[in-house]
Amino acid sequence: MAKTVTLAHGAGGKQTSELIHEVFEAHFKNPLFTADDAAVLDIEPGKLAMSTDGFIVSPYEFPGGNVGKLSICGTVNDLACMGAQPLYLTCAFVIEEGFPMDKLEEIAAAMEKTAAEAGVRIVAGDTKVAGKGQVDGVFITTTGIGRIREGVKTGGALARPGDAVIVTGDVGRHGCTILLARNEYGIVADVDSDCAPLWGAVDSVLAAASDVHVIRDATRGGVGTVLYEIAEQSTVGIRIDAPAVPVDPAVKGVCGMLGLEPLYLACEGRLVIIVPQEDKDAVLAALRQGKYTKGAAVIGEVTAENPGKVVMTTEIGAETLLPQPGGELLPRIC
Amino acid sequence: MEQKRKTAREIIEGYDGPKLRIMEVCGTHTHEIFRLGVRNILPENIELISGPGCPVCVTPVGFIDEAIWLAEEKGCVITTFGDLIRVPGSEKSLAGARAGGARVNPVYTPTDAVAYAEEHPDEEVVFLAVGFETTTPASCMAVKQAKEKGLKNFSILTANKTMTNAYRALKGSADAFLYPGHVNAITGADSCAALVDEGIYGVVCGFTAKEILTALAVTITRLQEGKPFFMNCYPRVVTDEGSTAGKRMIEEVMEPCDTEWRGLGVIPQSGLRLRDEYAAYDARKKFGIPEMKGRSNPACRCGDVLQGKCTPADCKVFGKGCTPLHPIGACMVSDEGTCAAWYAYKRDVIE
Repeated sequence: MAKTVTLAHGAGGKQTSELIHEVFEAHFKNPLFTADDAAVLDIEPGKLAMSTDGFIVSPYEFPGGNVGKLSICGTVNDLACMGAQPLYLTCAFVIEEGFPMDKLEEIAAAMEKTAAEAGVRIVAGDTKVAGKGQVDGVFITTTGIGRIREGVKTGGALARPGDAVIVTGDVGRHGCTILLARNEYGIVADVDSDCAPLWGAVDSVLAAASDVHVIRDATRGGVGTVLYEIAEQSTVGIRIDAPAVPVDPAVKGVCGMLGLEPLYLACEGRLVIIVPQEDKDAVLAALRQGKYTKGAAVIGEVTAENPGKVVMTTEIGAETLLPQPGGELLPRIC
Repeated sequence: MEQKRKTAREIIEGYDGPKLRIMEVCGTHTHEIFRLGVRNILPENIELISGPGCPVCVTPVGFIDEAIWLAEEKGCVITTFGDLIRVPGSEKSLAGARAGGARVNPVYTPTDAVAYAEEHPDEEVVFLAVGFETTTPASCMAVKQAKEKGLKNFSILTANKTMTNAYRALKGSADAFLYPGHVNAITGADSCAALVDEGIYGVVCGFTAKEILTALAVTITRLQEGKPFFMNCYPRVVTDEGSTAGKRMIEEVMEPCDTEWRGLGVIPQSGLRLRDEYAAYDARKKFGIPEMKGRSNPACRCGDVLQGKCTPADCKVFGKGCTPLHPIGACMVSDEGTCAAWYAYKRDVIE
C-alpha cells in the first residue's frame, strides 16, 4: 500500500521527526535551515520587507505547478513588488490525514526548486496533521523577508497621470487553469498556469528604469482588480487599450464559453508595473529578455480624468468602463 | 471615378436622418454591445433597445413559484441553470428556498440532470427547462434520454420559448430587429425572412465587433432606403434552413403552446410544452401543480425595460434596492440581462 501521512506524523514523536527528516530536511537542506526553535539570521542593516500568505488551492496539483511551487512564488512575488530581494522564507504545513507521501515529496521538491531559482532560503518550517476532512489535502503558509533595494519606493498610491501601465505577460492563465483542472465544465483546453517566481524580472526592471512607481502582482481578482485598487489608492484614472491586453487564445476561448472576463481571472506569474512614460521602452526591453516576462506589453496609461475608475478603449474605439466584478468569484484558486 | 465605399462605422456615425429605433433580442448581443461600447459611438437619432433576449429575464414570476412549490411541497430536487436560482419569485427566490432547506442544484446541461437522476433513484429530480430554440434541443434530448433509460424519477418543468411570435408581438416597439444569430443557427434565416411580408424587418446579427457593426450599418442603410428588408449578416454560421437535426429534435418531443413572457404577457403559440407521448416527464402533469399567478414587486419595471418602453435608469429601484447581489427584477440577475449590463457598464456614465 502506498505510504500516507497519518495523525502520528503530527503528534510530535518519532514519526514526526521522521517526516521532517525524510521529506522536508531532505529537500530544504541548507546551512540556515534550523533544527532549533527558530532560525538565526545575520542581516545587513537597511530596509526590509516582510510578507505572509496562505495557499489552499484546489486541486493541489495543476498543469504548470502545484501548491508547493505556488506557495514559494506567491510570497517571493509579494516581496518583489516592494522592490525587495527575497532572502528567507518559513513555511507551515497543515496536512490532511491520509495524504499520499509521494505527493508530499513532490510538493517539497517543487518548493525547493522554486526557492533555489528565486535565490531564497527556507530557514524554518512547521508541520501539523489534521484529521480526515478537517482540511482538504494540504494547506501551506509561507512567510518571507527581503531586502529593499537602495532608493526604491513602490506602492499602490504612487501612480501619476501620464505614467505607462505594463503587464508582464498574457493575463488570466492561472485562474483559467484551475477552473479547467476541476473538470466541472467538461471543457478541455491546452492551458497551463503562469505560476513563476518574479524577483529576477523585478530586478531587471529596477535596473532599467530611472523610477518605478507601482509594482503589483495580479493574483486573486486578476489584473482588473489590481487596476481598480491602484486607481483608488492613487486617486487617478486608468485607461486601458482593450486590444493591447495580451490573452492566450485558449484562455480567450474558455472565457467566451463561460462568460468570464480574462482581466478578472487570477494570475500567479504576472505583474502590473507602472512607470513614467520615458522609462516605458527600457522597462519593456528589459522584461522581454526575462524568462517569464517575454510577453510583456504596454496596455494603457494613467490619467488625471476619471479618478478611481478604469476606462477601456474597446476594439471599436469606443470608451466604456471596465465593469467591476460582482457576485461569486472563484473560490480556492491560490 | 469610383466612389470610396464607406466603412460600417462611417455609416453608423454619419447617420443624420430621422430617428431610428433598433432592437436587439439576444442577451449575448446586449452584453457584447455594452462591452464594446457600441452605444457610445451612435449618433443621437439612433436608439438601440435591448429587447426580451435573455431567457432568465423573460421567465415569469409564476414559474419560479411553481419550482419552489415542487421543492417545498413535493420534496423534489430542482436542477437548473445557475442564473435562475437568484430570480425572485412572488415570496422568495430558489436561493431563498434553498436557505430554508429546499434542494436546488445548479447544472451546466440538462443531460447532467438526467445523469444525477440516474445516480439517485430515490430522489425526484426536476429540471427547469427555460430558454429559446438554442437550448431547447438539449432539454428535449434530456427527456429522450430519460425515456430510453426508463427513468421514473426525472421530469422537466417547461418554460421554453420560441422567438417568431415574440417578433410579431413586439412589432410596434422598434423599426427593425437585430435577430439573434444563435437562435437563427437553429431556426434558419428563412424563419425571419418570412416576416418581411408582415412588415417586420431586420438582419441576422453575429457576435464579433465587426459583425455587430456590419449588421447595424446594413440595418441603418436599409431603413433609410425605406423598403421592406431582411438580410442574413451572419452567413458563416446561419444557413437558410438552419439546423434540421435541432428542429427535428424539438418537433419530436415538444409542441407549441401559449405562454407568458415576463413583462409582455401571454403571447399566443410562443411557448413549447411536452407532447402527450412524453407526458410522464412533464412535471406539471406528474405532480399536479396548482395554477400560480405570480406577483412581481410593483416598483420593478423589468417589463417596460424588456419592451424598450424605458431604460433601467428610469426605474426607481435600479441600482438602489435592485443590484446584482440583491436583484428585485429578473433583468438584474443574469449577466445578459439589460439591467445587469447597465449596472456593470453605465453605473457611472462616462460623458
